[in-house]
Amino acid sequence: MRISRFAAATATIAASALVLSACAAPQSEVVEGSSITVAWNQPFYSYNSNTSFGNATANANIVYMTSGAFNYYNNVPELVKDESFGTYELLSEDPLTVKYTVNDDVQWSDGTAVDGADMLLAWAANSGVLNTPEFNPGDFTDPETGLFTDEYPTDVVYFDGAIGAGLQLVTQTPEIDGKSITLVYDEFFVDWELVFGVGLPAHVVAQRALDIENAGEAKTALVEAIQNADAEALAPISSTWNSDWNFTELPAEEDANLLVVNGPYQITGFVADESITLSANPNYRGANLPNIEEITVRFITDPLAAVQALANGEVDIISPQATADVADALAALDGVTVLSGEEAVYEHFDLTFENSKNGTFDNPLLREAFLKTIPRQQIVDTLIKPLNPTAEVRNSQIFIPGAPGYEETVANNGMAEKFGEVDIEGAKALIAEAGVTAPEVCVLFASTNPRRVNEFALIQASATEAGFVVEDCSSPEWGGLLGTPGAYDAVFFGWQSTSLGVTNSSPTFRTGGINNLNYYSNEEVDALLDELDVTLDPARQIEIQIEIDKLLMDDFYGVTIFQFPAVTAFSDRVTNVEPGPLSPTIFWNAWDWEPTEAN
Amino acid sequence: MAAFVIRRLIASVFVLLAATFLMYNLVALSGDPLEDLRASNAPNKEQLIDSLTKRLRLDVIPPLRYFIWLFGDPSQGTAGVLGGNLGLTVQGRSVNVLLEQALGSTLQLVTIATVLAIILGLTVGITTALRQYSGYDYSVTFISFLFFSLPIFWVAVLLKQFVAIGFNDFLEDSPQLPPLFIVMATVLAGLLWASIIPGDIRRKVMTFALAAGATATMLVIMNLIDWFTYPGLSIIGVAIIGICAAVGFTTLITGLKNRKALYASLTVAGLGLALYFPFQYGISYSITEWWMLLALAILAVGVSLGIGWLMGGVDKGPVMRVAAFTGFFTAGAIALDRFMMVWDDYASSGRIRGRPIATIGSSTPNLEGSLWVQGVDIYTHLLLPTLALILISFAGYTRYSRASLLEVMNQDYIRTARAKGLPERTVVVRHAFRNALIPIATIVAFDIGGIVGGAVITERVFGWTGMGALFQNGLDDTDPNPVMAFFLVVGGLAILFNLLADLVYAALDPRIRVN
Repeated sequence: MRISRFAAATATIAASALVLSACAAPQSEVVEGSSITVAWNQPFYSYNSNTSFGNATANANIVYMTSGAFNYYNNVPELVKDESFGTYELLSEDPLTVKYTVNDDVQWSDGTAVDGADMLLAWAANSGVLNTPEFNPGDFTDPETGLFTDEYPTDVVYFDGAIGAGLQLVTQTPEIDGKSITLVYDEFFVDWELVFGVGLPAHVVAQRALDIENAGEAKTALVEAIQNADAEALAPISSTWNSDWNFTELPAEEDANLLVVNGPYQITGFVADESITLSANPNYRGANLPNIEEITVRFITDPLAAVQALANGEVDIISPQATADVADALAALDGVTVLSGEEAVYEHFDLTFENSKNGTFDNPLLREAFLKTIPRQQIVDTLIKPLNPTAEVRNSQIFIPGAPGYEETVANNGMAEKFGEVDIEGAKALIAEAGVTAPEVCVLFASTNPRRVNEFALIQASATEAGFVVEDCSSPEWGGLLGTPGAYDAVFFGWQSTSLGVTNSSPTFRTGGINNLNYYSNEEVDALLDELDVTLDPARQIEIQIEIDKLLMDDFYGVTIFQFPAVTAFSDRVTNVEPGPLSPTIFWNAWDWEPTEAN
Repeated sequence: MAAFVIRRLIASVFVLLAATFLMYNLVALSGDPLEDLRASNAPNKEQLIDSLTKRLRLDVIPPLRYFIWLFGDPSQGTAGVLGGNLGLTVQGRSVNVLLEQALGSTLQLVTIATVLAIILGLTVGITTALRQYSGYDYSVTFISFLFFSLPIFWVAVLLKQFVAIGFNDFLEDSPQLPPLFIVMATVLAGLLWASIIPGDIRRKVMTFALAAGATATMLVIMNLIDWFTYPGLSIIGVAIIGICAAVGFTTLITGLKNRKALYASLTVAGLGLALYFPFQYGISYSITEWWMLLALAILAVGVSLGIGWLMGGVDKGPVMRVAAFTGFFTAGAIALDRFMMVWDDYASSGRIRGRPIATIGSSTPNLEGSLWVQGVDIYTHLLLPTLALILISFAGYTRYSRASLLEVMNQDYIRTARAKGLPERTVVVRHAFRNALIPIATIVAFDIGGIVGGAVITERVFGWTGMGALFQNGLDDTDPNPVMAFFLVVGGLAILFNLLADLVYAALDPRIRVN
């Protein structure tokens, strides 16, 4: 069996090598009969991960592997364009105009071409521009199921898309022309590259919503409905888009068109709350051709259960939450490769500038003194290194370690230089200079998180040595207390980066920003953020971010401590697993995974 | 009686209401459901927080939100729990749908384990009571206390390590039992039987030799025929089981002196053997659904009852019972043999790759095959969690049934029965055993009420998405709705079965009256 499969694979590769030798791009071929099982900690429950209902990584991972995209994040992390799917170009900066073009041969798994109609639907759904104003979808939510009811009004348009992420700035209905679409933004939006993709198949949405058999006719009807803002046709289209793709087991035969995708893999099996199976999509024409014929994602919540399943050969790749138990259990396994890495979440310690409990940090001298006492290296050594031996202290508020610009900013911003090592004497001197004795500091953190409790103990011990009176203001409700005036003087928790978009720093550091929870305000930073929001040149973007990073440190904003540890382990049945920090972490190069002899 | 039931039910409703109020607030106040979103850098963070706050009514404080949960939300026109709506989870999934899936999966997991634990526990408990203060009794007491004190998550991890990973390693390359293992198993089997079967030293030695010899022979034969790669009972195994069942049930139910019963049950076993080949290589291929297997089981019992009736003579009842049990066991052995026939195909398939015993989930994804292959797959997945659950609850049942039977055996009417000259079998089976079951029945009723909620940890460790997952994920996300769904079902069942236990006791024991 194994020999014949191997022989068949060799023959296939040899034969296809002749055919493909003309192609310039490196090609891979599916190894027939190869299969891989991956464990993930949450069940998949909706194929439309852009809705507020389906917005979860468990869904996004599956959508990622079954969808073509204009760009995606690799493991560096950096944004990679996939030109075998389509291209985009910036036509003008004022007004910001972007043209997306899908390649000619890109098609859905049912053979229908991917074209402007699909992109027009993606715009309509994720911009929310066509939504009926002042409509409350809650009025028509079925209390039994949480989905929309049949009484849903027939002329109300409500797309529950990723509204607010940037596309809402494109209020004019975009022009489509065959395989391309042109988006014109009302305002400049610097992260335009991250907000647009194809999404659900327009012909299937229209076929299901408008009861049209023919794919071409359905598409035409959909395009007309959007272009004419025809509420009566858009109402069923929007409710189909919102609800139909929420399936928790394999759809019935008559609903098989829900499984139409345009990516390297397609969904071929799905058992509720157990596993979902993806198989290579024969109609995929892009460059990310998969090697492994079948990927099954099994849903395993318990991290140690995942480790034992790996040991027993039931799963091949796991990425459980990194804990000391998991690290020990993995170390004991033979024939398993363990990769320690980093997640996109980083721990940071922020000082409150105004509205604090004791007012201690209104004085920059005390801010500096306190930051000098934070034992960052010790925290990393004792709490993180056991889980990720290569862990290092993170030294930038803005850049993810490894991302372009990180090295430069570390050399420049002074976090490593001034606060790299604990300096109790220096802190004492600063407190003396400030002319206060026993300044009080109340620190907020999650009392339910053992790691944070340990961190606090280390920080408290160190700061007490310098003369600070550190009070434990932890709470299980810490999230709700964030930004509450008079509640605390300093806080530490994790920020989660969802992208490398430059607009991410704006809400955190701008005066009055939604994530600015410590009342930080610096006109220079605000001005730089304004500039950043309209700067397209990546080199200049990095320069501005480096400047902001420096200003933050000059103001003793706070320090970052570590990147959350991540662990990935895989068996000897697969190679080329290279997890990245940003979603979809382990799955970003699923098509490059290769089966080994043992498969 | 009716007044008692109604009074109890009304009181229960209030207990449940108070308990849910307390539980709801405890869960809601245990953390912050928006914690993940607050630490997010997503560009549409504000919209996401707003939408979740609106969906879960987080703008209302928990004690008041409980009433929204109970009565529904008039501002959104949704029904509450009283209207049959359990609400949404933090992820926006319907709790009603989740509860339905979870309940199904949990019942699948715990039903077999509970039934097996009860049967095993009762059998062992009764035999230990009959052999009080024997080596067997002391060993079982020791082992059951040992299991009773083990934490289940630890047992589960050990089972996975040794029974799954270790045993799979053993199976992977031409499995042969090591000689040391055979020697130890031989000695243990000898000691076990010698301590169960009564008699003087000479008889004990004989029993030991016989049991040890039989075990050693069987294990050596298993090694010789590669039994672990190609397991099966074959017609010989089925014949042994059939004859043992016939003799055993006759001894137990009527006594071997009742020749009619013995012949009827041997006829049934013989009929089963005659059908062995036609079934294995013919009929079994057309069985494609589980109900067909069930129908065959019922048919087997029916035919056996018929044979018992025909051969029963004057006193048909006991003969029919003996025949029915024998028929069921013989048919079961044939079915078991049929499942074993596909074992090698199953174990060596590309989905299993020679490691059949599973540590997680309820089935192998994408496994295709006949009903027999699916049956083996269910077996390999249920084995570990069932073992874990049995080990823990078995201990309790053995202790209860042992104590209960001992108490009954010391009563005056048992002495009277013996004084009348009744054979020991009649005294134990007819007079003692039935009365000993009365207190056990109430414990069993109560346990059945508890099993749905009692497997939270087992489910999580074995990767079953059942009631335990509903409860634990809800708690992790500070999400009261799924936790409350769990609590309603578990609490409701506990109250209901408490009531049932009282009623059952009254029905079984004429000395008790409910009023």
